[in-house]
Amino acid sequence: MAEKLIGTDIAPQDLVAKITGRARYAEDFRADGMVFTKLLLSPMPHARVRGVDATRALAMPGVIDILRADEVRQVEGRPAEASLTDEPLYEGQPILAIAAETEEQAAAAIEAIEVDFEPLPFVLDPLDSLRPNGPNAYTGGNRFGGGEFSELKWTDADFEEIEAGRMPNGEAAVEWTKGDIDAAFSESDLVLEESIVHQSLTHHPMEPRSSMMYWENGKLHAFVSTQSAQRTKYAIAGMLNIDPEDVILVAEYCGGGFGSKISGNTHMEVPAVFSRKIGRPVMLRITRYEENYIGRARPGFQSWLKMGFMADGTCNAIDLYIVQESGPFGAGDFNTAGMIADLVYTPQNMRFRGIAMYCNTPPKAAQRGPGGAQIVIMMEPILEKAARELGLDRLEVHLKNAPDADVGFGPRNSTLTSVFAKEALEKGAEIFDWAGKQELSGRREGSKVTGIGIGLSPYTAGSRGYDGLMVIRPDGKLYVHQGLGNLGTHSIMDTARPAAEILNLNWDQVELVWGDSSRGMPRSSVQAGSQTTHAHSRANHAAGMDARAKVLEVAARTLGGSPSDYDMDNGRVFRRGGGASMTFAQVAERAIELGGKYDGHELPDNIHATTVPAANILAGQGLMGVARDNYGGSGGVYTWVAGFALVELDEETGVVDIKEYVGVTDCGTVLHPRSLSAQVLGGSVQGMGQAMTQRWVFDPKWGVPFANRLYTARPPGILDVPLDMKADAVGIPDPQTPVGAKGIGEPPVGAGGAAVTSAVADALGGRCLCRTPLTPDIILAELEGLDKPFHLEQHIG
Amino acid sequence: MAIIRDMIPAFELVQPTTVEDALAAMARYGEGGWVLAGGLDSYDWFKDRIKRPEAVIDLGGINELKGISNGQDGLEIGAMTTLTEIVRHERVRSEYILLADAAEHVATPQIRNQGTLGGNISQDTRCWYYRSGWACYRAGGNTCYAAAPQAMNREHAIMGTSRCVAVSPSDTAPALVALDAKMIVRGRRSSKVHDAEDFFIGPATDITRMTVLESGDLLTQINIPGEWANAHFYYEKVRDRGSWDFQLVSVAAAFKTSGNTIDEARIVVNGVAPFPVRLDAVERLVTGVTADEALATEAGEIAIQGSRPLKYNEYKEPMMRNLVRRAVRSVA
Amino acid sequence: MGRWLDFESNPWGQEVLQGVSLELMYLAIGLAVLFVAGHWFWYRSRGFSEHEEPADVQGSVAGLPERIVRHTLPSRIFHWTMAASMLVLLITAFVPLLGLEFAWVTIHWIAGAVLILTIIYHVIHSIVWQDFWSMMSMGAKDFREGLGHFRHLLSSKSPEPEKPGKYPFDHRMYHWGIVVTSLAAIVTGVFMTLRIKTPFWEPNAYYPLVDQAVSGLNELGEPAITLQPGAATGLVFVLHGIAGVLLILMVASHIYFAIRPDKRWFTWSMIRGWIDREHYLAHFDPDKWSVGDGTIQENPPGGAIADSTVSAPRVDD
Repeated sequence: MAEKLIGTDIAPQDLVAKITGRARYAEDFRADGMVFTKLLLSPMPHARVRGVDATRALAMPGVIDILRADEVRQVEGRPAEASLTDEPLYEGQPILAIAAETEEQAAAAIEAIEVDFEPLPFVLDPLDSLRPNGPNAYTGGNRFGGGEFSELKWTDADFEEIEAGRMPNGEAAVEWTKGDIDAAFSESDLVLEESIVHQSLTHHPMEPRSSMMYWENGKLHAFVSTQSAQRTKYAIAGMLNIDPEDVILVAEYCGGGFGSKISGNTHMEVPAVFSRKIGRPVMLRITRYEENYIGRARPGFQSWLKMGFMADGTCNAIDLYIVQESGPFGAGDFNTAGMIADLVYTPQNMRFRGIAMYCNTPPKAAQRGPGGAQIVIMMEPILEKAARELGLDRLEVHLKNAPDADVGFGPRNSTLTSVFAKEALEKGAEIFDWAGKQELSGRREGSKVTGIGIGLSPYTAGSRGYDGLMVIRPDGKLYVHQGLGNLGTHSIMDTARPAAEILNLNWDQVELVWGDSSRGMPRSSVQAGSQTTHAHSRANHAAGMDARAKVLEVAARTLGGSPSDYDMDNGRVFRRGGGASMTFAQVAERAIELGGKYDGHELPDNIHATTVPAANILAGQGLMGVARDNYGGSGGVYTWVAGFALVELDEETGVVDIKEYVGVTDCGTVLHPRSLSAQVLGGSVQGMGQAMTQRWVFDPKWGVPFANRLYTARPPGILDVPLDMKADAVGIPDPQTPVGAKGIGEPPVGAGGAAVTSAVADALGGRCLCRTPLTPDIILAELEGLDKPFHLEQHIG
Repeated sequence: MAIIRDMIPAFELVQPTTVEDALAAMARYGEGGWVLAGGLDSYDWFKDRIKRPEAVIDLGGINELKGISNGQDGLEIGAMTTLTEIVRHERVRSEYILLADAAEHVATPQIRNQGTLGGNISQDTRCWYYRSGWACYRAGGNTCYAAAPQAMNREHAIMGTSRCVAVSPSDTAPALVALDAKMIVRGRRSSKVHDAEDFFIGPATDITRMTVLESGDLLTQINIPGEWANAHFYYEKVRDRGSWDFQLVSVAAAFKTSGNTIDEARIVVNGVAPFPVRLDAVERLVTGVTADEALATEAGEIAIQGSRPLKYNEYKEPMMRNLVRRAVRSVA
Repeated sequence: MGRWLDFESNPWGQEVLQGVSLELMYLAIGLAVLFVAGHWFWYRSRGFSEHEEPADVQGSVAGLPERIVRHTLPSRIFHWTMAASMLVLLITAFVPLLGLEFAWVTIHWIAGAVLILTIIYHVIHSIVWQDFWSMMSMGAKDFREGLGHFRHLLSSKSPEPEKPGKYPFDHRMYHWGIVVTSLAAIVTGVFMTLRIKTPFWEPNAYYPLVDQAVSGLNELGEPAITLQPGAATGLVFVLHGIAGVLLILMVASHIYFAIRPDKRWFTWSMIRGWIDREHYLAHFDPDKWSVGDGTIQENPPGGAIADSTVSAPRVDD
């Protein structure tokens, strides 16, 4: 019997390469005649380039050429990002590029360029832009809609209370309601109201978005850092307006993206266009400093929240208003946050209002659990307070409000494929010993107070309808072609397991093919939104079933009988009950002889058009399994993580020490336990950093960010996370997907962060500090009753 | 001039093997020379292309600057001794645990392996306005951007400021002041000994440097006198993260005690001023007194007298107060 | 320009004025030394006496007391307080730049505050109790007087110049120079003090209305930032620096003349308050500086003392 693959720990295939440094990331590639390019970044948060004098730079040794904004794609008249611009909208936006023989020459040349910038008014904080005479991020206004810019300002009356730290509730851009909140609040036994600020923070993946590109025989060879692969190839083609089949994408490894490199990035255009211009390979190595600017960030929220509870802990009503700091090009987190608030606490009455404001800060993008992570981190301390005031156990309150599979939420009453949130809460509570730890809550030793907390965090975790593509070659091995990116989540490997199991293969009989589009990549989901485990376990399941059927048919056509007479195991197909058999090697050779659908010369009609060229590359190489995920389903696919934390808060220093953490997920079937644990705990740690340490800071006078480096931005380090961390899964398969597996990437962030903010609120005796990160200064200012200068400020430091 | 970061411009590398050669090289290059110890401060400056020395004089090959030895009175520590060596040194641990504690609170194990004691106390401030290459007072300009009313100054000073409000970043500096260490500074012609307390200077005296070291001066050795060996010590550093972080506020204190009575004390706080602040008034208060909670409370209050917070760093007052309180309390 | 003024990039990379360069200070010190030495050599080479000029007493001493009051006590207190604060200001400003480091900023601004107070006192005092215009007014006649004096200094053949009133032309010129330069230094100094920590206010590196005035319209009619942020700061520093180096020159030459043997009787009058009758008659025109009957009134009318008896004619006639 072939080994069981799903649910077992198998070291990923690229492990040795990563550990030994053999793994090649974008900046490790070289090509004959390659030159380096460096970017000139805008020193101002909003400006216009009046003139550029590059005479001196271009005369410097080794300098080859300059690339200006008018040589790259520009979208006029709406908030859209270009790779180079003459009207920068944030400090650090690239203006031009210089190519030189060496990187040092390019850098020196950049320094020699004189740019005449006209500084324009700028805004960093959305509330500033909403003030009656506040500045706008664009010269045309602070809003964009219906094809034009406009100005939206709140009134002086709206701002009257802001100095006291109360969030104004001016005109909103988005609003939806369900039920009757006014009535619900009036009948609620407890109504809580808070103004809450959640910081903006950069993605800071370990690998910056470097890329190297060259043109050969009309084809672009692109070596990039991207979360996705097949989709990035099309993104690059679209960006350059060329035939996708003229793009050869190499993206073997990606050192993290967290949503900032979903299908590559805008600035990949620079080496592509520059290389075409000068006829030489061009390497753009992005530094940590540059990554801070162009590398995307999570939008910050300033919000106002009112929650009504019944005496039994039922959340009766939520009134939520979110003002979002959207950077210069926008982001959608706030809308998601509204839906997640509805989903986690299932109020029967809810109003969501929101407004996303353009700001002259570096661009925003999805960051692991976008919107969802922020809202649960912000709301859990309120729940703590409510439970305390109602004299209830928070676990009970969560269990009372957590949804079941029949949930409908958000403005369109969205439904889900499955929900096992309560099971996750119960299992987590058991592992954490929530009941036993109740007595530790509020325990005081010297200046240290213990707090315990829960965070419940759902997020989308799957999509449908992608293609699987695989070939059994004459060497007898199954080659699974993955169009995903290799982001380090292992889903690029793990999602091949269903196909291998369907074909009853051992894992050493499976080869994964990834990272090079010339080797054939099927239509894939983007490696984002925790989609891939769900989407590609399905797609590979479908293609595996196709391959299995073809193996049986080939056996039957070769050895006689009907396909149903045959079975397969361990790389052989054999007649049930004994008799003739073929190795997969023989099957592959036979399939090539038979041709047609068997070796990929004939393809199913329903596969995606972009899978066809990939399949064509592989046609004739062996027995091809190729199919579209037609398993269907209804409702959104959401994974849940319940996080439990125990912290010690030192009232004399404001320092919070996270002592214990448990994360339990409802992610359906577990494909790879060790990898799942890494995702649950890694994501939770990211959330703890978001809640406790990580920040971004801007000087309001100059509009310039600080905390641009890893040590100043302070993502959590090894001593900031508990030694005692446990992850587990409910393990109930999602009923709507054949493998039963859902994604896991996003939701742990909110769970980890919210468990900690909830525990801090508990340690503070039910006080909500109502802003992140909960650094010692903020906690101490609260404990000491200091006049806080940071009431509702978005960027502080 | 457009800004490029994260790329070190070329420089001439001088690798002397004796102090004499190092001093000669420093004299040869004058202001164009840069003395490199562990490099953790220097390479940041170089990477950001803000400091562009003509020549870098690397002290890494000078053996006479390395190691810890027993002096006539106490310990003699070469300026190029790594922080890890200090953390692990048997006699430092047994007699001067304050210094080992402080050294162990520096950044990360990797940084402590590379960073030196001399470098740790001679490093420049981490004020991000200054480190961003802005032409502030400390950089020779005419503005303190961090003291502006809307500025981001959570990590800045609440006392001892003069135009510049940056703080001393060193973790070992307060411990050395508390231990009454002596800094041996060699010049081309002469050698001077500074009390640790006087080694760190504030912006009122010279706004462009943090120590007495001037161009041509080389810190060669740090002597820890036997006077405070085996005293009662207290060290604590509050930071945002558990590692790889500078202090928000730290305290280093040495007490000579008889039972619970404090006979003599040296109490030093860092992170609140541009230099480690020795708390003379607190020392006077606690000397000859039996330590108890009331004394600790009073010590904390006295410690922060005269402080003047900026917009975002008012929390440093209670933080400093509480750390001093804890230091005194530790005797009780 | 680049040599005497410092430019720096502001945080947006725009080149803005930063202040005067150290070279300008060295230039001022050099010029002061040159002037003093040059004057001394010139004076000697002309064969003028190094010692007090013999009193060439003309006219009658009748009716004149032996001691003519020149500076009243309040005037002298003002002068020396102002001189002390000015010296402290100059020393705290320039000595650290020359390499002797000490904590100068607090002393500097306190001395500046003292200077401002003494000047306020001086202005009120001179307007209310002294003849303000005798010192301030400068008419064509005064310049003729000064020119004549200067010609006579250069060439003994030129006619003996007219004697002045209480304040000779060069004194009034110097006074004017000090007024303008000190006021420039004080006004800019106050702006600079706004940037540092004092007991009176929190520091603010940015000048309200000026550095913050970032709104204007560009050529496209869009809102734009019209003034380079930091430029106003630089201008203040430059003016303060220029005033500072001019004060080095003026104070140096003032001290030089004050200690010259031939002028020491002036200096003594600022210490003792009076000059003797011989100097009065030798150097001043009693018509322009009438000392009346010359009696020192212990309790003059109006509460002031002898200065009030001075009745210099208005010269800007």
